[in-house]
This record gives sequence, structure tokens and C-alpha cells, in this order.
Amino acid sequence: MAALSDFRLLRPASAAEAVRLRGEYPASRFIAGGTDLLPNMRRGLVTADAVIDLGRIAELSELRVVDDRLHIGAGVTLATLAADPVARARLPALAQAAAAVAGPTHRAAATLGGNLCLDTRCMYYNQSEPWRDAIDNCMKIAGDTCRVATKSPRCWAAFSGDVAPALLVLGAEVQILGPQGMRNLPLSEFYRDDGMAWLSLAPGELLLSVRVPLADGWLSAYEKLQIRGAIDFPLTGVAVALRRTGDLIGELRIACTGVSSRPELIGGLDALAGKTLDDAALSGIDRQIRRGTQPMETTVISVAYRRRATPVLAKRLAKRLWAASA
Amino acid sequence: MNAPERKVVTLAPAGLPHGVGARLPFVDGIEKVTGTARYTADLPAGGALFGKILRSPYAHADLLEVDVSAALALPGVRAVITGDECDMPYGVIPIAQNEFPLARGRVRYIGDPVAAVAAIDEATADAALALIRLRVRELPAYFSAAAARQPDAVLLHDNKPGNIERAVHNEFGDTAAGFAAADLVREDNYECAEVHHAMMEPNAALATYDAERGHLTLWSVTQVPYYVHLTLARCLKMEAAHIRVIKPFIGGGFGHRTESLNFEVICAMLARAARGTVRLLQTREETFLSHRGRPESHIRMKLGMTADGRLTACEAEVVQRGGAYGGYGLVTILYSGALLNGLYDIPAVKYDGYRVYANTPACGAMRGHGTVNIRFAFESQLDVMAAELGLDPIEVRRRNLLKAPTDTINGLKVMSYGLPECLDWVEAASAWQARKGKLGKGRGLGMACSHFVSGSAKPVHWSGEPHAVIILKLDFDASVTILTGASDIGQGSSTIITQVVAEVLGIDYSRIRIIANDSAITPKDNGSYSSRVTFMVGNAAANAAENLKRILVAAAAKRLEVDEAEVVWLGEAACSVADPQRQIPFAEVTEEALVATGTLTIKGSFTCPAEFQGGKQRGGAVGSTMGFSYAAQAVEVSVDLDLGKVTVEKVWAAIDCGFAINPMSVEGQVQGAVWMGMGQAISEETVYENGHHMAANMLDYRVPTIVESPDIEVHIVESIDPNGPFGAKEASEGPLSGFMSALAAAVEDATGQRFRALPITAVRVFDALNQKTPAARPAASAEGAA
Repeated sequence: MAALSDFRLLRPASAAEAVRLRGEYPASRFIAGGTDLLPNMRRGLVTADAVIDLGRIAELSELRVVDDRLHIGAGVTLATLAADPVARARLPALAQAAAAVAGPTHRAAATLGGNLCLDTRCMYYNQSEPWRDAIDNCMKIAGDTCRVATKSPRCWAAFSGDVAPALLVLGAEVQILGPQGMRNLPLSEFYRDDGMAWLSLAPGELLLSVRVPLADGWLSAYEKLQIRGAIDFPLTGVAVALRRTGDLIGELRIACTGVSSRPELIGGLDALAGKTLDDAALSGIDRQIRRGTQPMETTVISVAYRRRATPVLAKRLAKRLWAASA
Repeated sequence: MNAPERKVVTLAPAGLPHGVGARLPFVDGIEKVTGTARYTADLPAGGALFGKILRSPYAHADLLEVDVSAALALPGVRAVITGDECDMPYGVIPIAQNEFPLARGRVRYIGDPVAAVAAIDEATADAALALIRLRVRELPAYFSAAAARQPDAVLLHDNKPGNIERAVHNEFGDTAAGFAAADLVREDNYECAEVHHAMMEPNAALATYDAERGHLTLWSVTQVPYYVHLTLARCLKMEAAHIRVIKPFIGGGFGHRTESLNFEVICAMLARAARGTVRLLQTREETFLSHRGRPESHIRMKLGMTADGRLTACEAEVVQRGGAYGGYGLVTILYSGALLNGLYDIPAVKYDGYRVYANTPACGAMRGHGTVNIRFAFESQLDVMAAELGLDPIEVRRRNLLKAPTDTINGLKVMSYGLPECLDWVEAASAWQARKGKLGKGRGLGMACSHFVSGSAKPVHWSGEPHAVIILKLDFDASVTILTGASDIGQGSSTIITQVVAEVLGIDYSRIRIIANDSAITPKDNGSYSSRVTFMVGNAAANAAENLKRILVAAAAKRLEVDEAEVVWLGEAACSVADPQRQIPFAEVTEEALVATGTLTIKGSFTCPAEFQGGKQRGGAVGSTMGFSYAAQAVEVSVDLDLGKVTVEKVWAAIDCGFAINPMSVEGQVQGAVWMGMGQAISEETVYENGHHMAANMLDYRVPTIVESPDIEVHIVESIDPNGPFGAKEASEGPLSGFMSALAAAVEDATGQRFRALPITAVRVFDALNQKTPAARPAASAEGAA
């Protein structure tokens, strides 16, 4: 990778100050752990005159229970989250997803906010400048064609964060600070199905925190498919949350990552409520996942495998939770 | 681990054992662990210019014009060079030199260097590269051996019809008679993806040109500084005497750095053009593009076997996609055939090999050079046929063992042979008989054997010099300095040489320093490749130490006023037989030895006798060696039957390395070899799309992580080779090539599916288990009983 280009480093002490600086320097970027941003800058994928370091903002690293919800500052590291006793006991999908990101040294620096805002990835995009120039680039950067689907009007780069699907099935909400003030949003509305504009953050807005309900009766889990047990981004990642009512499904939620330009909360699972997790229900899960995800050739690993293995992984997790809840 | 406990034979009277057989940390380990070791990229170089290479974005094109005028005019640019700078092709094989440091007239792969700049900083260098204009005429490009061999294909190199760099055809023994005598003849196709070394340190070079004298100094990551020295002299048309090559600490090589590489020559040319110092750092992507790894291979393997498991004949065809340039290619394709022999007793072997040019980065030497993919095919075929005949895989191997000493049918000498003991240990340690085929669905066990040379008995550059030379310097301070040209690339060669010298002299380890290596100081060495250093340089070191010891004993005799025969040499001291109480310390012996002569520089050397240098056939020197290492390993896997993922649970590896000069180092080398084989077996492969390298980074080129790293139990078998130093042979390459077929057998044990294509990824296993495609992707055919 190339050396970093020159930039101005700004280190605000409050979130409000960070948002103000972001407005003041239009070509700026927020940085927390930097595990995504810095490699992307070194590859010329991101350019910034100013980098605003969020590391000094105390409120971003808050992690506490407030009114039956876990409040997690966007600056909490993934290592902290993975080890948090509340998350581990009551939101296992979240702790498992945080622990599944990259490797230990990444997790020590990488933050929740960074993983939720992770740039979408594609094998035609996450390359050096000479490499990209040799294929005349792609529409996500300096080109006009999607190299994954050359006739497509949109970019298909895949969202590859591990934590988002866990938070989706756990019903999380995000808190956003912008020049116009604070707003709250269900996490599902934080994402858009577009590889180039996958976040609904307005220019100048900052992700402040995530709040996750600590509702009783839910079991959850996250697992990812990866070639190696560390470092790899998910080829596909699946989070499942299950609330059982007696011998029947109360509610089942599934979300996937790595197989669309946004983390996908799988729809059409409401019909499973009041039923048992039998073969018919598993077929229903299979069908809804195939309908709700669209892996494209964004990595060197076969798209057919990712498409076919995603429901297998989801059904396995659902069965595991079903058995555990009996 | 379980290296044999042995009483260390050392004459040193006190202190910890530091001679051969001792489990010692590496002599350069402290610097590496504490971070004070300086690698090429870390070397201080005030005012060094920043070098950068412009690489071809075209896979195959005539290069009509390289316009550097705008780049030259950019302020801060000190030099811009193109293919005009050097009209001398280079390459490691003297008869196959067809690569220029910067392309001339033609580019042949995406990444082929076209121009280079030296500038005051990286940003200026980048800006200069962006100003260089290429005018080309694109040509049809070929990304597989089959495409490049089509009758109408454009030739990558005009003198090589059919894009065949080298075809090898030979037959030893009578294969037709062998197959006729067989009860079972089976022929199947195997394929192996291309893999890369992925050593930890990316490529880097630093060059200083002394414009007043016209002298050049180059620091580089090379495994063979001597080749780099020769290549610089050739390409820069300089006197070799005006060049100095220094090898700092190196972060791995695995064969990538055996050949001189373009960036080393480019760095030197930039320094000369800029009349100054240039540092040329290569990105990981550029390091991948310098490739020299193991080629994509298609192998047809036909074996004949009697009902009781005796091999009667072997016929193999190997097609390697060699990439754009010659490099080591012809040696690789010869190795594949030559080392079909030397492991088992096979009465007849026919081999047809084709090394094919294609528009991908050139392949080259990689740990187990040329022998790995064909070993996968051979051992797999052995397993399949044993199963068909109802024979146990270990038993079938036992029935085909050699008896040392012996000559193989292709003229190789086997002097020591610990394979039977390796098999016995692996069988017992893995509880083979109780567990093979009995672990249940999703879990399996497999095994295989392998071997490798302890250095090539006939070096590529045959000059008539000894194969290795060591110099020992003894000075007034009673220290011994070892001067060696052997590159320690992380494999521990400096430690091994030091232990050998300590053993022979019997002196305290802390008295000994080793300098490796600097062409201005250290003797020429043929380099760190083909696992030659322990055997050849180790022997030279023992010879040098014996020569020095003779002088020291004479000096002690003089000081003690007795005959030499009466001197008792204690290492740190000497005394006479008659008076053991009156000891003179080593410093005093040294003082006496230096009287009237001063500083002593004592040489030792080693030469492989001609009878070891291979068969008379063309290319017969390849594969020749004085000692083969032997290995057997068993691999246990679990397979996720839903998702296809293969997990290596445990490996038992036995190595016959002759004698373990440093058992801890041997264990490390064996574990590393097994581990590297595991990467090729389960996850590693380069991927090209229209010639673009899609995995030229450590995220997409999937070297296993510590999570995948299984427990690897190593057992050392000591066959005490008659010619190795203290009986030692190589330990680092042989244990690699058995892994893939052992894993394939284990996966078959777990799933019932036999995989004939590498790597055996989750995708392939998933597809096979879901029967989308048969496991054995290459077409299989059995001729049935003959």
C-alpha cells in the first residue's frame, strides 16, 4: 500500500465540536479505530484534507444499561463489546458478532461505529490505484461501470460488517447527531441498498450511539462463513434471534451480512409465529433468505456458494436456538 | 516435542551444551524478537531517493513507445529509466535468460515493469509515474497453459514454438512391461492451483552508486546474493569487482528470492542514473506480481500395481503454466520428473513434462521446488489404488521401500533412508490401525510420504569451485568470527553453522560471531536454496573448524612444550596427557598461534564428488544430491458436512533429517513445512481475471492464520547420513509435499469424496457433498485390471 497522503488531524473534545468541524472542513472524514479508513486512504479509495479523530470524545465510549436498554457509544471498541458481561449474557449475537470481526489487534482498535459505517467492499474496488486504473476503475470510484454487473445502473459492493446483522435482529436503534441536532432511527433505516450510498447519514452527521433493548425471552446468535478463522470479512454472516412461546415460535428474526449492499433483515418470517420449527418452517426460512439476499461476485469466492450456504447457516443457527430454548 | 534425547558429544568442559545436537535458540533470535533487527526497508540511508516502478496494465502488448519527457521535467525527479537502460536479458538459468529488468519491445503480463523513477519523495515519484505515456499494440493474451498451446497462439518468446519453454521426455526402465505385469493399472488427472510464497517481508532494495569511483553497493532481501551480484554486473555492464552486495536481516524467502528479481536490478539502475542512493520498496501487491511461486499444474498420473501392492510402473505427464518468463522454469519441470524417483522403489518411470509460457507473472522456485504437485498426484493415486486392492495405505508404502545405499533408475544416489522408521512412528503415534476409517462421518485420517534433496549436487552456475567455502578468523582477542556467504533467511542457517564450529572447536559459544553476508567481507556462497546450506556449508564449516583446530593444537603443544599427540584439547583450554592439572586457557593458545603470523584466517570447503551429480541424460543434474531427507505424515481432519469447511485437527510428522544439529530448529522447520503445505491444501491460490491478479493482498490470498494452525507433533528420525555434517541432511522442504495428499485422504475418510484438485476449499467440498459437481473435478479414468 502507498503512504498516507497529507492531511490535517483535528481532535475535538465533544461530539458537538466534531460535527461543527465536519461542517467546517467539507473534505474531512471522521476517524475512530481507523482499521477501515486508513487502508482505504492508503489505497486512494478515500481522500481527506482533514481527519477528525473521535478518540477524545468521552461520551462516545459510554457503555451502560439505561432503562432496560444497553446504551453503547459508537466509540466503544469491538474488543470491549465482545467482552462486555451484559452483552454476553443478554445479547449473545452482539457479543459474538463483535468477537468475529477481523483479528484481536483489529478489535482492540476498531469501534462499533466504525463497523456499522464500514465502507462496502468489492474485489474491483478494494485494490490499489494502479490496479484499478488498469480496469478503468468502477462506478464506486472514478469510473462509470459496475464491474460486477456491467449493465447495472447501480453499484453492488457488499456491506461486510459483522455487527450490524446482530443489532438488526436485536431491534437496535441508532442515535445520530447532525448540524440540525439529534435524531433517532431504527437501525434498519440506517442502511440503504446501494453500494455507493449505503448509509442514510446526511453530510456532516455523526453516529453517536446504539441502543439495544434488553427484552426477556430472546435467544440470539451470530455466525459467519469465512475461509479462515481470523482476519477475513464475512463471505456471509447470519444473525438469528428467537423468542419461543411454549412449544411454538413466538418471533424469529434473521439478518444477513456480506450478501447485499446493506445488512438485510430478512422479511416474511412473521408467518412462522405460532408454528413449530419443523421442516416446513426451515424451508420457509430458506426461501425467505434466498428471496431477501442477492450476493454478487464481489469477492474471489464463488457467489453460488455464498448464496447456497447462507440459508444453511441460518437454519443451523435457528435449530440451535430452538433446541436451546426448549 | 519429542526429538530424541541424546547425550551431547562435546569436549567443552563446562557450561551449557552449544555444539551439535543442542536445542538452541537462533543466534540472531534476540534481534528479531526485540525488534532491533534491521531489514532492508529499515536501513538508515540519509538522503535516499524514493524509487518507484511503472508496471504494465496490459497482459500482452507490443510496446511502441514509452514517453517519459513530462516525468523527467517534473521538479524533484532525479532519474527516469526505461527498457533502454538495459539491453542485457537476465535469468537464473544461463541458457534461458529472456527477462529484462524493464520491458523492451513487449510486455507479457499485467505488472511487467516498464519504467522507473527516482524522486525526492513518494508523492513526486507517484506524480512522475502518472506523467509517463505508453503507446502499445495489444496482442492476444493467454492465461492458461492450454490457451497458450493452441496452434494459432501468438508466441510470447519467438524462439519457443508452441509457447513451450521446455518439454522433457524420458523413460527409465520398461514401463510397458511394468504395466503389463500389473494387476491394477489406473490413470487419473490431478490439478493444483498456483500458489505464492507470501513471505512476511515484502520485497525491498537499497542501492548506492558512488559516481566518482563508478562503484555500486546494493542491499537486498535476496536468498542468493551471489546471483544478484552476477546479474547486476551483467545488466549494468559493470565490473563485478566494482559491485558490493549486502544481505541484511531477511523476513523469509521460501524460494521467491532465489532468482535475482527485477526490482533489485531496477533499484541499482536508478541509483546509477540518479548518481546517488535509491530506496525501492515494493508493496505487497508488487511482491505478488514478482511471483516465482509454484505453477498451476495439470498432472496425468498412471500407476501399475500388483495385487499385493508392489509398484510395477509409473507414467506421468505434467503441464505447468510457467508464466511470462523463463526464470527457474526448466529446473521446475525437470524436478517434477526426476523426483518421481528416490522415494520408493519403482522399476520403470516414464515422464513427459511441459513448461508453458503464459501471460501471468513468472513462476519459479518454491519450497519443495517442482516436487510438490506431482507428489500430491502420486501419493493420491497410491491411496486410491491401495483402496481398490483392499490394502492399507501404510502397508502399500512399506512394500515399495528402497534399501540404502542404492542408485535410482535415473542416476540418483540414496545414501541414507529413514523412511521405514518414519512410517512406523506415524502409524503408532496416530493410532492408525485402530482409527483409520473408524472415526465416523465428518472425521478422517490420511497419510503420505515425501522427500527432498539436501542441496543440488550440481549447481546452476557450474564454475568448478567447491560447493561451499567458510572462513574462520581468529584474532588477538581470542574470538572466532565465522564469515559465510550463506543467507540466513529465517531458516536458521547462521545458527547451524555456528553450532558446527562450536562443536568442532569445543569452545564457548559466546566466543563465536557469525557475519552473513556481505560480498566485500564474506566468501562467495551458492546461496540458500534447494536446502543446501546445512549439508554443504555445514560440511565446509566443519572442515574449516578442523583446519583451525589443527593449528591450535600445534600452538598448544608448543606452549606446553610437548608433542602434538600429547595435547588434550579441552576447547576452552588445553593440557598435556601427562599433566592434566596444568591447563593453558584458550586465550593463551591463541596468543601462541598468532606468533610470527598474526591474525589467522582459516578456510574450509566442501565439494560434491562428480558421482553424485546426477544421470547422464539431458537435465540429469536436476534432482541430484548427496542426501535425501525423508518424511511421513498423518493428518486428521474434521469436515463440516453442511458447509464444506475442512479443519485440520492434528498432524503427526516424522522426518529423517539424518542428524538434528539443532532439534528445536528441525521441529520448527517441519512444522513450517507442514503448515505451508496446509495452506496450499485448503485455502491458498492466486486468481487471475483476464490477467489481473485478483488476490494480490493478504486478505484475498488466504494464508492460514493461527486459528487454522493444528497441533503438529514432530518426530525426528536420525539415519546418520554418511556424507552429511555429523550425519545431517535437510529438514525443511521434504515434509511439505506429503501434506496435500494426506489431507485429501483424510477428507475422503471423512466424506467418502476423493478430491483431485487443490485447494480443497469449503466451496469444492460443499459442491461435492451437494453433488453439484463431482469431487474429482479433472476427468478420471480407470483402465481396470491389465
